Amino acid sequence: MAVQAPEARTARPSWGAVIWDLLTTVDHKKIGLMYAFVAFLSFAISGVLALLFRIQLWDPANQFLTGSAFNQMITVHGAMMLFFFILQAGLAGFGNFLVPLMLGERDVALPRINAFSFWTFLFAIVLVVVSLFFGDVPQAGWTFYYPLSTSLGSAFYMAAILLLGISSLLSNANFVATIYNLRMKGMSLWKMPMYVWSIFAASILNLFTLAGLTAATLVTLLDVKLGLTLFNPDLGGDPVLFQQFFWFYSHPTVYVMLLPYLGILAEISSTFARKPLFGYKAMVYAQMGIVLLGMLVWAHHMFTVGQSAIFQIAFAFTTALIAVPTGVKIFNLLGTLWGGKLVMKTPLYWVLGFIFNFLIGGITGVMLSMVPFDYHAQDSYFVVAHFHNVLMAGSGFGAFAGLYYWWPKFTGRMYDDRLGKLHFWLFLVGYLLVFMPQYVMGFLGMPRRYYTYPADVTGLVTLNQISTIGAVVLTIGGLVWLWAMYKSLRSGPKAPANPWGGWTLEWATSSPPPAHNFDVKFPEKIESERPLYDWERAGLKPEPVDPKTIHLPNSSFWPVFTSTALFVMFFGMAAFDWPNGWMLAGALLTLVGLVGWALEPEYSHLVEHHTVTGKSQGWMGMAWFITSEIGLFAILIAGYLYLRLTGNAVPPEERPALWLALVNTFFLVSSSFVVHSAHHDLKHGKASPFKLGLLITIVLGVVFLGVQGYEFALAHQHLPWTEDLWMAAFFTIVGLHGLHVLIGATGLSLAYLQALLGRSDAKNHATLEAAGMYWHLVDAVWLFIVVLFYVW
Amino acid sequence: MPRMLLSVGYLSLAGAALAHNVTILSDAPVNQEITGLLWWVLIFAVIIFGVVAGALAYTIWKFRAKPGDDELPPQVHGNDRMEIIWTAIPLLIVMVLFVLTAQTLVKIKRPVAGSVPIEATGWQFWWDFQYPDEGLRTAGELVIPVGQPVEVKITSGDVIHSFWPPSLTGKADAVPGEDNYLRFMATKPGNYYGYCAELCGASHANMRFRILALEREDYNRFIEAFKAYEAPAPASEPAARGQQLFNAQCAACHTVKGTPARGVIGPDLSLFGMRTTLGSGVWDNTPENLKRWIKDSSAMKPSSKMPPFTQLSDTDLEALAAYLYSLKLDGFDFAQLPRY
Repeated sequence: MAVQAPEARTARPSWGAVIWDLLTTVDHKKIGLMYAFVAFLSFAISGVLALLFRIQLWDPANQFLTGSAFNQMITVHGAMMLFFFILQAGLAGFGNFLVPLMLGERDVALPRINAFSFWTFLFAIVLVVVSLFFGDVPQAGWTFYYPLSTSLGSAFYMAAILLLGISSLLSNANFVATIYNLRMKGMSLWKMPMYVWSIFAASILNLFTLAGLTAATLVTLLDVKLGLTLFNPDLGGDPVLFQQFFWFYSHPTVYVMLLPYLGILAEISSTFARKPLFGYKAMVYAQMGIVLLGMLVWAHHMFTVGQSAIFQIAFAFTTALIAVPTGVKIFNLLGTLWGGKLVMKTPLYWVLGFIFNFLIGGITGVMLSMVPFDYHAQDSYFVVAHFHNVLMAGSGFGAFAGLYYWWPKFTGRMYDDRLGKLHFWLFLVGYLLVFMPQYVMGFLGMPRRYYTYPADVTGLVTLNQISTIGAVVLTIGGLVWLWAMYKSLRSGPKAPANPWGGWTLEWATSSPPPAHNFDVKFPEKIESERPLYDWERAGLKPEPVDPKTIHLPNSSFWPVFTSTALFVMFFGMAAFDWPNGWMLAGALLTLVGLVGWALEPEYSHLVEHHTVTGKSQGWMGMAWFITSEIGLFAILIAGYLYLRLTGNAVPPEERPALWLALVNTFFLVSSSFVVHSAHHDLKHGKASPFKLGLLITIVLGVVFLGVQGYEFALAHQHLPWTEDLWMAAFFTIVGLHGLHVLIGATGLSLAYLQALLGRSDAKNHATLEAAGMYWHLVDAVWLFIVVLFYVW
Repeated sequence: MPRMLLSVGYLSLAGAALAHNVTILSDAPVNQEITGLLWWVLIFAVIIFGVVAGALAYTIWKFRAKPGDDELPPQVHGNDRMEIIWTAIPLLIVMVLFVLTAQTLVKIKRPVAGSVPIEATGWQFWWDFQYPDEGLRTAGELVIPVGQPVEVKITSGDVIHSFWPPSLTGKADAVPGEDNYLRFMATKPGNYYGYCAELCGASHANMRFRILALEREDYNRFIEAFKAYEAPAPASEPAARGQQLFNAQCAACHTVKGTPARGVIGPDLSLFGMRTTLGSGVWDNTPENLKRWIKDSSAMKPSSKMPPFTQLSDTDLEALAAYLYSLKLDGFDFAQLPRY
């Protein structure tokens, strides 16, 4: 839609209109706010759960929440806090709202994908809630270790995490594409605000590592539903392999949970100290150091599983090392504040609180890298205290810092600073009361996830009671927070465009910003990460733009439709035996959604998009998305190699035939060349050969799948996966590849449909570009599979 | 104020360590090594905490904006020398700590000649212990000698558990299909608390154990007597009836050495009368608790695998208790051991 000249003030829209607008919006600001709302709601709910189990722990003889009920509480508390709050609030929530604003742009790279990410995220939570009605509430800990998780069910939790994974990957790829490809003229990477850098780093890290979680959940779900697993020791599988998969994701992810908040703190420190960032480049390098090292420390969660001493020492080394770049980030924050003129308002309080808390968390983190001490601390209350120290009093404080900093921009209302500070003090004191005693409890040998504990160990009861009192203080703080927000929305004074005197571009538009973000065109000369400061000094002024030249993407119903359809499918996967009608119906509806989506124009006008690299957004998004797919196959194949080389996964005498695989290789590889030449034809305006080429590609893909289906049926008849580990690995990895062929063929079919209906031309063919690239990936992976499963 | 809170934390830590019983700062050799490491950490932690928290406090106190002062402070963009300093110093510190860590790790993992081999297997929700050299089996409470190292081989029969006696050593996970080792030594007699430290289901919190460390001669006497042990013939009428009941109702799962009861699904009860606790190290071993347990163990221990025996009358329960408490070796009193 094009932006109309000043909109006339109309009557308040009806509820129906508001809901329809939210369902179909592709506006990054509304999506960001919905993300943030759901994230903070998750925080509130899981906070209440924590209060409940702290009440249970008041007295070891309490019978209030015991056994499975207690385990459900701690599991849902952990999962919601991590997956639905802290991972989302700073990254997808604030990030969606702010990144395009900070980059001086009008939306993210892929607005409809963005809407789809949000709805899929929401449905992941819905799936966890629905588990309540099917007696399958997650209760194996948020870490769902094998084989406890499979013995307790956990299908809903697994399906929810897989759904969330799809959402996160698309969201991350979208962020990276936006930041890499969609910056206003003059804003080079080294001129971006630190917050944008942090979103960039966190997104990349998540794209690289999420595969670990996907692999762990996928194999767990397959085990629950089909008995297909790589972990079962009865077949020679390895339960520890599950932990390798899981922690390969779940440690890096704590940095995904930290980096955006470090970015927020940097912005606030600079604004409220009235100074530029201290050591901007050092902070960026430190952040990239964290990304790199973050991928090399996962096994420090597994020091007690009995790996060799060398293995443990190696991971102790990287774990100790990562304290260094993290320290640099903190020191630079301090350097930014040092020598400034600190404006002591609520957001800055949270920053100062963060630094103090994170300091303690950092020191105890280094302690944990000392392996012999970790043998005690692992799974004790010391570890509980440590990770709440860095995640709740660290990242969580960062989330509130951001919320109070940008609240006027989000809502257009100011809030009562005294209430914000009261909230801060209650949270700080509450947190110290809850968690400082827990460090001591670790020294007294209190294990984690215990609903009761020996009453006769000196100090344990008292410490637990102090901790519970702290939880009550936190709850009161939470109520003050809700009151502050409510009061602001109801009667807060209208917020000016730039209430704090910030220097980044989100402050150069009204609060809240209009749908098209900016009414003006900014000067193209940007000298530092503080454009507003530089422009004022240089006397440069933005110029007004003609609203008629501004084009925004159309609202669309298809993202929420497709997401709902996907939810139906995942619900079917979680709730009932495979296959079932829900799965089928969900898959078909998803297809309908994708077709509707592919055929609906993103803009009413054909708009020329400028991109930084010249590549289309679809291409860029897919390029980054694919890194995660490579990761997924890499990690599963690494698992297979491990099982094979340790002599546990041995190919059976009669295994799937090589000649059949080679025939299939021929189909798939030739299809890669065909799709490449089809793309070439399209770019040169040769419509007919293009369509033919695309059709041939799809047919080749379908033939491949047919052959593979035949081979699978034969192989399973011969030796089912429940009886042989090699067959289990074969079906898991080759089957997953088959699924990718199916998805790729679907994408190509969508591009073909667009071509048939004349919706693509030499310039506009992002669907084809994306699907084509995906197809090449699928082919490349296949070559590895042929070697590893058929030849070797 | 925050610094004050932290020092209160450290003080209470030290206080708790001195006061009594369970703590990882005990004088067991492995814990001594770890305490040594912690001293190093404490030194660096105090320095770093002092410097950074001090700088933070100074910043808050010194660099506040004064009302009405609208001028910007000096716009400093950074200082490379500072960056190098605060990269290099932490790097140095973590390297020192890392080297100390590696040394200690190698030391405590090294097998010791002359260790007592023991096998521990975790089950939902109890621990099975075996002395492979002696062919002995027990459950819930493991007897070890003082002053002689033990090497516990740990595994699991179902899900992952973790074996953790904090006052003696750190933990090692019990993973099905794999063996994991813990090497440690008790330096004084005692009844040491142990815990399962990996979430293993509804009664994870009730999956504890005890390690009973006896003076060497007592230990040797115990092992010899255990090897020669056969359940004594019931000395009373109720005990005799209890044995009948046990062999009819309980023998499918439980073993009592020297009787027809040879079940291996549940804990070995050969020396039940000597246990200080029941239900896997959780409840005091009293007749009241025992009767409650037999009647419906899952009321005490959620998801306990032992079925309820609600059909047993009070007289039946009395008889079973009389029999079970007769199962012991003479000349030992484990209840007297101090608890750590």
